Amino acid sequence: MHTLNRDGDAPGAIPCSAGIGLRSVHYRELLSAQSRTGWLEAHSENYFGDGGQPLYYLERIRALYPLSLHGVGLSLGSAGPLDREHLRKLKSLVTRFEPGLVSEHLSWGAVAGRHLNDLLPLPYTEEALEIVCAHVREAQDFLGRQILIENISSYLQFRHSTIAEADFIDALIADTGCGMLLDVNNLYVNAANHGVDPISYLGRIPVSAVKEIHLAGFDHLDGLLIDTHGKRVAEPVWELYRHALARFGPVPTLIEWDTDIPALAVLLAEAGRAERIMEECHAAA
Amino acid sequence: MLLRDMQTAFACAIFGKDIDALMPHVVSRGVSPEQRFAVYRNNVHHNLGEALRAVYPVVERLVGARFFDYAADRYIEIYPSECGDIHRFGNGFSAFLSDFPPAAQLPYLPDTARLEWNMHEVFHAPDHAPLALDKLGQLPQSSYAMLRFMLHPACRLLSSPFPVHRIWEWNQATAQQEEALDIGSEEASLLIRRSGFEVELVPLAPAEFAMLSALSDGRTVGAAFESALRADQGFELARFIWDHVRQETIVDFRTESSQDRQ
Repeated sequence: MHTLNRDGDAPGAIPCSAGIGLRSVHYRELLSAQSRTGWLEAHSENYFGDGGQPLYYLERIRALYPLSLHGVGLSLGSAGPLDREHLRKLKSLVTRFEPGLVSEHLSWGAVAGRHLNDLLPLPYTEEALEIVCAHVREAQDFLGRQILIENISSYLQFRHSTIAEADFIDALIADTGCGMLLDVNNLYVNAANHGVDPISYLGRIPVSAVKEIHLAGFDHLDGLLIDTHGKRVAEPVWELYRHALARFGPVPTLIEWDTDIPALAVLLAEAGRAERIMEECHAAA
Repeated sequence: MLLRDMQTAFACAIFGKDIDALMPHVVSRGVSPEQRFAVYRNNVHHNLGEALRAVYPVVERLVGARFFDYAADRYIEIYPSECGDIHRFGNGFSAFLSDFPPAAQLPYLPDTARLEWNMHEVFHAPDHAPLALDKLGQLPQSSYAMLRFMLHPACRLLSSPFPVHRIWEWNQATAQQEEALDIGSEEASLLIRRSGFEVELVPLAPAEFAMLSALSDGRTVGAAFESALRADQGFELARFIWDHVRQETIVDFRTESSQDRQ
């Protein structure tokens, strides 16, 4: 694979504005001059193929927009070794597309070579912390750059957890030098599902580590909130977003919408709302 | 509980439905551990099921959504996903369907699935530049028989005793379905390739299929031509090469002396 051959400088760093998740149904509109957004985030694994349409469009889009790569399949929290082939594919994307940010999740998704292809919760123990730290260091060394780790939404917690999630993340950041992708919707969902105090949680995350924020919509199911990424951001999540901005300052913010994907205009309107809130918070600071 | 033991118990509970080892380790707060765990079982099955549905839309149309969901759930339990990239999941679905008793009434279903998996691979396969004709022109004609042609990496050859290409076309949303499809009427010898970014199915004559299959197996032009002649004494080699270079099925070649001598 060769690196991008761009006319002039393609935008590199992710700006402190709102972006949206890149979905194939929006490729053409995003390439037209009428429908622009501050930056785009692609799911890394959607571009793990060897050629054809996905990489063709990603290359054209990358020439116009700052890009973030967001992985869902590396399984940093698995007890076994990291999948080197997965890391190699990620690295070739990073080399080719020069993303402003690269992120993964604080989760696991595979055991003994069997993949569950989901973002599964970890017990927050010293043992798990050691494993995740080792894997994050390995990934950063392999990629030659910092990665951001996202707090996931979860539906169960383990009795043998001994560390609060925010402290686990704080320790992970201190040990590995990774950054944090703060998913405000996930924090809200977990507050409801597990009784976590979201304001205290935000207060325990180191201010300089938060390099990106995610916002998305959730659903209700049998007494739990489910992170479906299939609707607009809920009002109380916008409220929690204000709290986050008050602590962390303006941070690049992504609108995630992965199921029942709406018209691009709906995503851009959500992104516009995030930007207005960022401006208000900035003006008030 | 060690992390590995928890993850093993979790996977067993997702796929084997034995949740007893895991449940004592899950916090109960308002909602029971069983209900909490059920969200994950549903999510994992849903994600993998949707990945199959995306690759196998024609199989789903043939059997209906409920049958498809049932088959997908069985498949997910029996055939582990082996990759963190979910787009790689599902390559055993055709083999699974051929041993799946509820699908025994649909003998063409496994080959239809095989066609759809090949199309999925072709969609994501590497790009390749066309053959440089001047490079071919520099060779003496006498050496042509010993050439080994390379097919475009986004090409697959598939044969079936059922007309799977007709079945596929018949089940597209845009298809004109004026007459019933006679699945005993025809076999399939297909070239599956990309045209632009679209995957297309090209039915081939037996000799052409034999020729491309032999080239795809790495045989020389001379050896491949012999297989083609066995299928059709009138097979026109020069025209075949010209057509498939022009259509970018043939994208490179190596000479007998260059490497990989057999």
